[in-house]
Amino acid sequence: MSEAAPHLVVRGVSKKYGPTTVLDHIDLTIRRGELVTLLGPSGCGKTTLLRAIAGLAQPDTGKVELAGRDVTHVPPHKRNVGVVFQSYALFPHLTVAGNIAFGLKVRGAARREIDAAVERALSLVKLGHLAGRRISALSGGQQQRVALARAIAVEPDVLLFDEALSALDRKLREEMQVELRRLLQDVKATAIFVTHDQDEALTMSDRVAVMNKGRIEQLAEPRELYLRPASLFALNFVGLSTRIAGTVLAAGNGKVEVETKVGRFSALGNFQAGSPVIVAARPEQLRIGEQSEANTAAGRVRSVVFQGSRTLVDVDAGAGESLLAELSGRDGKIPIVHDEIRLSWPVTETFAFPMEAQA
Amino acid sequence: MARAAIAFCWVMAIGLALFLIAPLLVIAAASFSPTPVFDLPLTGASTRWYGKIGRLDGFWPSLLLSLQIALLSTAISLISGTLAAIAIARGKLPGADIFATALVSPLMMPGLVLGIALLQGFRAVGFTAPWATLLVAHLVITLPYVARTMIAGLSRFDFTLIEAARTLGCTYPGSVLRVMVPALAPSFLIAGIFSFLASFDNYPVSIFLADVRTKTLPIRMLQYIEEAPDPTLAALSTLILLGTVILLFVSDRVVGLHRMAGTSD
Ligand SMILES: Nc1ncnc2c1ncn2[C@@H]1O[C@H](COP(=O)(O)OP(=O)(O)OP(=O)(O)O)[C@@H](O)[C@H]1O
Ligand SMILES: [Mg+2]
Repeated sequence: MSEAAPHLVVRGVSKKYGPTTVLDHIDLTIRRGELVTLLGPSGCGKTTLLRAIAGLAQPDTGKVELAGRDVTHVPPHKRNVGVVFQSYALFPHLTVAGNIAFGLKVRGAARREIDAAVERALSLVKLGHLAGRRISALSGGQQQRVALARAIAVEPDVLLFDEALSALDRKLREEMQVELRRLLQDVKATAIFVTHDQDEALTMSDRVAVMNKGRIEQLAEPRELYLRPASLFALNFVGLSTRIAGTVLAAGNGKVEVETKVGRFSALGNFQAGSPVIVAARPEQLRIGEQSEANTAAGRVRSVVFQGSRTLVDVDAGAGESLLAELSGRDGKIPIVHDEIRLSWPVTETFAFPMEAQA
Repeated sequence: MARAAIAFCWVMAIGLALFLIAPLLVIAAASFSPTPVFDLPLTGASTRWYGKIGRLDGFWPSLLLSLQIALLSTAISLISGTLAAIAIARGKLPGADIFATALVSPLMMPGLVLGIALLQGFRAVGFTAPWATLLVAHLVITLPYVARTMIAGLSRFDFTLIEAARTLGCTYPGSVLRVMVPALAPSFLIAGIFSFLASFDNYPVSIFLADVRTKTLPIRMLQYIEEAPDPTLAALSTLILLGTVILLFVSDRVVGLHRMAGTSD
């Protein structure tokens, strides 16, 4: 099968629990070997989508295709998916090796084959020395690795991770993010991660699906998601931004002129004149002083937060609006609190979003 | 000061343990008595009383009956009690707490009250077959032990284990058998042992339901002691004690005695 062929296809999947719509016509296509993250706030339906893919929850409508096979009505034990649960769900009555061998045993694999697969999976997660341990005698990080090894050992068509790293402490989690990504690329796994941690999403994945209220708002590569958010929700959920409310004065050619309480701005977007909108820009686009083809606004510095390689400057622009600038050391002088400064940012990095979609 | 307090607690612990175990030691010693009265075998031991156990009047039928009732009621309780415990621990059953309390409540009732209540109840509905009434009554005795242990065990059971097994290739029933049953094995064992023992040595409930031909072992033993108190009874008690110790020892090997006593996890 070619690298680009669709490997997992979710088509129009909806699910209701009682009156609440948990999944609302989800479409998602994942290529073979791709690592995709479902990113969204608590309760947006990430786990439910994952369970629908694994066969643990039956969608009300729609289809799931895996490796060229329609699995919509196939029970979980015949789907060949690997799941790493948030609680790890390791079998307490079995050893590390017993847990990893479990999937192959129930598939009736031969003894020699099982032993070889267990050994391979253990060395992949660097736990060869713990094969005979009881699960209760493992640390959280080690349990996480066993859960991963158990899921990988059966060579599933897709690996599903439901907040698999969230139980680890921050440092370990950051190490595991990098290691896990490399490991999954090594074994050419197709994987979906569920998380509500944006850093994890940006670090781990080839593409990120931002979910909100049972829908996928945007599916894009991490860089594009950050630079070209498709909705106010996506903008807010990933990274920081300056946001100013206003009304469209004039529109045309994919650009709008917006009147706000702190000045008139140009932004990218298609709207009718008179629409209420939010004008937004990423903080690293804001500079002190003037630039050509730029929006500008002035205000008084409210706070300055030094963060090592960068400094975040929060500016009170009056009328309840604020500007957030991220200045690097090379930008020259860093202002101090109460300074009156003027900031500018390129029109091509200014976006307008419809007001009512505010989350 | 603190050391004195700790020393006092130690003395308490050792003293209480002796206080609990001493009668058992006495009866074991008395079973080797050389004379036909309950006597400590100070002048030479004899095992002849053990030989007489089997010749006690009506001993074998009573032993058989007690074993039957205990095993059967334990088995039925284990299955039905576990299913009920699943509903309570897992299902979003309205009023689960009330059901849980109801299932465990016979534990808090005096055996005599329970016995009279069951006798009256069975009479009222015309249910008088002695063997069957005994079995049903012993279900009432054993179910609370099973329910209590299994509700506790299940409340600690992570049901995502079953989902994990399913995604690894197990059918739903297969997952229950391969994952839930072994993970709950310690609870099953504990529930089974306590329920078996509670049934096997029950006197106050059984006495109301037994008749001349249907006497459980504890009833029979009390009758022996009234008729002819000799060390045969001590010998029998010692054997029962030995059986219990072996049972507990084996279980300890399997799951750990501290877990059974509930003194640690
Ligand atoms: N079995 C269920 N019965 C009823 N409602 C459910 C069930 N499972 C999930 N829900 C509801 O569906 C919604 C989405 O749940 P889901 O677990 O998919 O969210 P999530 O995005 O994974 O959230 P989190 O980040 O908190 O894990 C929630 O409002 C939840 O209450
Ligand atoms: Mg979730």
